[in-house]
Amino acid sequence: MNTGLASAALISLLYTLLIFLVALYAHHRKVSGRSIVNNPYIYSLSIAVYCTSWTFYGSVGRAATTGIDFLMIYLGPSLTAFSWIFILRRMVQISKENNITSIADFISLRYGKSPWLGALVTLIAILGIMPYIALQIKAVSTSFYLISGFKGDIISLPSSGSELSIPTGLMLALILSIFSVMFGARRLVSSERHEGLVAAVAFESLVKLISLLGVGIFVTYQLFDGFSDIFTRFQTLYPEKFNQLFTLGASSGGPAAIPSFTMLFLSMGAIMLLPRQFHVMVIENSDERHITKAMWLFPVYLFLINLFIMPIALGGILSTGSSTGADFFVISVPLTTGHSGIAVLAFLGGLSAAAGMVIVESVAISTMLLNHIFMPIIVRFTPQAWFPLLLINLKRLGIFLVIFLGYFYYLVVGDSFMLVNMGMISFSAAAQFLPAMLGALYWRRGNKAGAITGILLGFLTWLYTLLIPSFSHSGWISKELLSSGPFGIGLLKPTAMFGLNGMDLWSHSLFWSMLFNIGGYIICSILLRQDEAEREQIRRYIGVFELERAYRVTETKRLSKPVTIAQFVSLMAKFIGEDEAQRAIESYRGNRELDADGNVSEFELPNLKRFTEKSLAGSVGAAAAGAIVDSFLSDMGSRMESVYDIFSNVRTSLDQSRESLFVRLKASEIINRTLDLQIIMDDLLTLLLKEFKLDAAIIQLRDENGLCGVRSYQGSNRRPINEQHWFMESRPYCEMTLADRKAHFINDTKQAPPGQFPRTIAEGIVSCAHIPIMREGEPPLGVMSVFSTSISGMFTEEFISLLSSLTGQFAQAVTIVREIEAREHERVQKEQALLKNARVMRDMEIAQQIQLSFLPESAPELPGIDMGGRCISAAHVGGDYYDFFRRDEHTIDLLIADVSGHSVGAALVMSEVRTLLRAQFNSTHNASSVLQSLNRQLYDDLTRAELFITMFYAKYNATTDRLSYANAGHNHPLICRKGESACIELDAEGLILGVKQSVVFQERTIKLQKGDVLLFYTDGLTEATSPAGEMFENGRVCSHLGSVAHLPVQEIIDSFYQAVTDFTESPILQDDVSIVVLKIL
Amino acid sequence: MKISRVRQRVMHRLQLRESWVIFFVLGIIMLNFPFLHIFNKSDTLFGFPLLFLYFTLGWAFSIFVIYLFTLASRQPTDNHSKTLQP
Repeated sequence: MNTGLASAALISLLYTLLIFLVALYAHHRKVSGRSIVNNPYIYSLSIAVYCTSWTFYGSVGRAATTGIDFLMIYLGPSLTAFSWIFILRRMVQISKENNITSIADFISLRYGKSPWLGALVTLIAILGIMPYIALQIKAVSTSFYLISGFKGDIISLPSSGSELSIPTGLMLALILSIFSVMFGARRLVSSERHEGLVAAVAFESLVKLISLLGVGIFVTYQLFDGFSDIFTRFQTLYPEKFNQLFTLGASSGGPAAIPSFTMLFLSMGAIMLLPRQFHVMVIENSDERHITKAMWLFPVYLFLINLFIMPIALGGILSTGSSTGADFFVISVPLTTGHSGIAVLAFLGGLSAAAGMVIVESVAISTMLLNHIFMPIIVRFTPQAWFPLLLINLKRLGIFLVIFLGYFYYLVVGDSFMLVNMGMISFSAAAQFLPAMLGALYWRRGNKAGAITGILLGFLTWLYTLLIPSFSHSGWISKELLSSGPFGIGLLKPTAMFGLNGMDLWSHSLFWSMLFNIGGYIICSILLRQDEAEREQIRRYIGVFELERAYRVTETKRLSKPVTIAQFVSLMAKFIGEDEAQRAIESYRGNRELDADGNVSEFELPNLKRFTEKSLAGSVGAAAAGAIVDSFLSDMGSRMESVYDIFSNVRTSLDQSRESLFVRLKASEIINRTLDLQIIMDDLLTLLLKEFKLDAAIIQLRDENGLCGVRSYQGSNRRPINEQHWFMESRPYCEMTLADRKAHFINDTKQAPPGQFPRTIAEGIVSCAHIPIMREGEPPLGVMSVFSTSISGMFTEEFISLLSSLTGQFAQAVTIVREIEAREHERVQKEQALLKNARVMRDMEIAQQIQLSFLPESAPELPGIDMGGRCISAAHVGGDYYDFFRRDEHTIDLLIADVSGHSVGAALVMSEVRTLLRAQFNSTHNASSVLQSLNRQLYDDLTRAELFITMFYAKYNATTDRLSYANAGHNHPLICRKGESACIELDAEGLILGVKQSVVFQERTIKLQKGDVLLFYTDGLTEATSPAGEMFENGRVCSHLGSVAHLPVQEIIDSFYQAVTDFTESPILQDDVSIVVLKIL
Repeated sequence: MKISRVRQRVMHRLQLRESWVIFFVLGIIMLNFPFLHIFNKSDTLFGFPLLFLYFTLGWAFSIFVIYLFTLASRQPTDNHSKTLQP
């Protein structure tokens, strides 16, 4: 009883549609941000893609023929699940960090992005998976025949006269291919998760579980009476068979027997290493926390799906009477017992199992195919605008290729194998990745050469001992190869290599392939070295998890020529399309500092390059992405080169190396040893030259005027710095450094615009840096420039910051030294001023002495009169002057003068006046003519010296008692006469001397009486000021004169000085005060 | 009171990386020659073949152990021992 061709086809079609709707729904939910896939249950179900139609049909077949050892295929993964929290989680973390797209990507990235390794892994995956896909096609076609009751290999449709014949297998392959393309290759980005695909796979996993449980419950509880009923009945009916099925090893002997250990080992590896398993577990993982739950959910799934396998197998034998066709008991048992509904359920379960596996597998492998076989060729061409289109179609082509290779294997090998045995060939192939994979995660020494050698040897062994013999059953390969070995060499028989007889095909193949694989991997890894690219990856695969970020990873690469963001974007656009490229770069830009042109700093460039690679890797795989970016850079004339590691490789736990600390220490020793800047500068530069293998170093410091001058110049090939010196070409950089207070450096002078550094380049200088000498937040004091002739790219962020900290220390020293110098300078200046002052004082004192000596020591004696005069200078030399000239027995001239100012000049003029007066005293007779001639003679000198003289000149004749006098602007002398209360003022018209060249002085005469006291004085007397600001004034002079008129002349003079000092309340006079007194006796 | 303390101690032991390795190795041993040999007999127990029973119950038990481990890994860990966090 069966459903017929049309309804079977319809059911399949409807079911396919349902799955497609599930996928669409999941995709829709993802777009709207409410993912249904993002939970541990869907994740666990998607891992159950492990259970293919092999599980669905093959397990029952195996259980019915060789017995319970089929369970090993599921116990292995269940056991592996123990390790997921370590291994799987680590794989997921690494993959997410590096945008890994497939297992080939994962392995090749770890071993230095080796394209050969990626291609090798891909090749193994394609060939290895061939039998596995053939298995699915075989299972589905057979189940389709069973369910539709249709016999034969082809479906013939009546079509316009002739019959159109389509093999079912081909139809199936075609449908599956189209399906896979729709689910997995709509977009290029493969590292992105395919939620629709995952949802479909999870749904199918659910269907196959329900379906198998349904059939199991039906068989166990409907046809029979529970587990023990089936077991007891079977034991009674077939006791021998019972023994064989429920013990291990009893059925061994034939080539189909696989020892349980081999199955366990292969399945343990396969759960992680099959491309589709890696895809759903690692690539499609949305959250690594799901792993913990999947660790027990997935084994539970395996447990449930296998619970009824044994009862179904036994029930099938019981109801059909033999174990022939046991592979399809799941369908045939319900059919033969007339339950077509259950049979359809079983058919759908099997279809799900097969379709899910084929879709995921083909998508995973086509990604590998594109990234590791096609891309290495494509990257050799110049990127074109149509590349994204080409790539996506190549990926689609890959899916067809993978499925049709499986179909081809099915055609050739076809029915000669049981399902399980076909699957084991694929498991063996996947096992070849195991050593390289575990080594990638845990063995630091594992290297590219080892991985390639190991995998290649293992693959060749597998090919020779397993895949080729599998063809022999179909007659493709001559039986002789198997029976007597190639060219009759028995030792090289594929099934008994080196005479290893008595082992089954799989254990034999596993043993030799693992021996060569692990041996090759370990030996090459130990013997050969890792290259730079590999070491970098090891840090990411292993280093990330040990000592995570314990030390800052320092940049060890630089781009020899800067590339802009825009250039990277246009490169990415050529492979992943404009939109994707823009989206990627937006995410990159988000949290980074960009300069005014929208570019990143030179130190950031390697990160940008890595980001570009990572973005491309999401679509084309890491190895191809690396090749694309490298070829792009080389077209640009730029390349990644190792940063010259100034600090060698020894790093302390902080971000400083021992060398860096040593240099800092040395520098501070130099700076603190002396206050001589020149020594500090010379020693500091010498230290830098020695420690960092620099070739020239120059320190420029600003002087007081802000001009920069070279203060120290150290280096091997020194020449005097002049306009022709190569250093002059760096001047603009120094000025820039001074202006923006930042270090400027050129890591490769050859990359600078041509003509900028002709002489510098001629000098052999390849890199240079200019660092401002300044303290934090203060204007720069100068620039330190360092040059290297040997190492381009030596100025890393670290090195610049070290140099900056040294210049900072040096700036501190410069500031201190300059402060000390300034203070010293000030002190010396003050000292000199004091010294000078003292010298002037002494000179002035001498001048004063001389000046005082000009004044008459005492008044000449004349009968009938008493006379006296005194001058007291206020400070040093003054301009007061008085004198007496005795003409004869009765006549005397007397004068009082005041030269304006108190300078030496005034004193000199005074001495000139004295000389002139002495000279003309005999030739002139009256007072006015004395003044007149004096004025004429002094005019020039006085004008030149800008001085004036006031003078009162008087002539007294004792016989006539007459006083004739003339005045040149001097204070009026006073006469105190007995009986008169007021004083008589002596006044005569006349200008101050030195104002006009010729002046006429009025001469007046007064007759003096007995007892008259004449007082001649200078303005120091009347202008003496009391602390209250009051002046002594004429009135006080007059009244004081009145009160002391009776005293002798000397006492009168004394009393005046006393009165003035009393008045001013200060013993020191404010101005010179000269007093001359004449008393008529 | 006492049960919760025992539970805590068990959880604490399960957080150790060593415990995982031990159970993993134990699983491999249980699925290999000496142990399988013990149960590799055609006898039945309560109507169930011995080996079938061994596999089924052993498997269920191992899943339970993994479940316990995942429970333990969610517990707060102390920093004195090497913990599960890779």
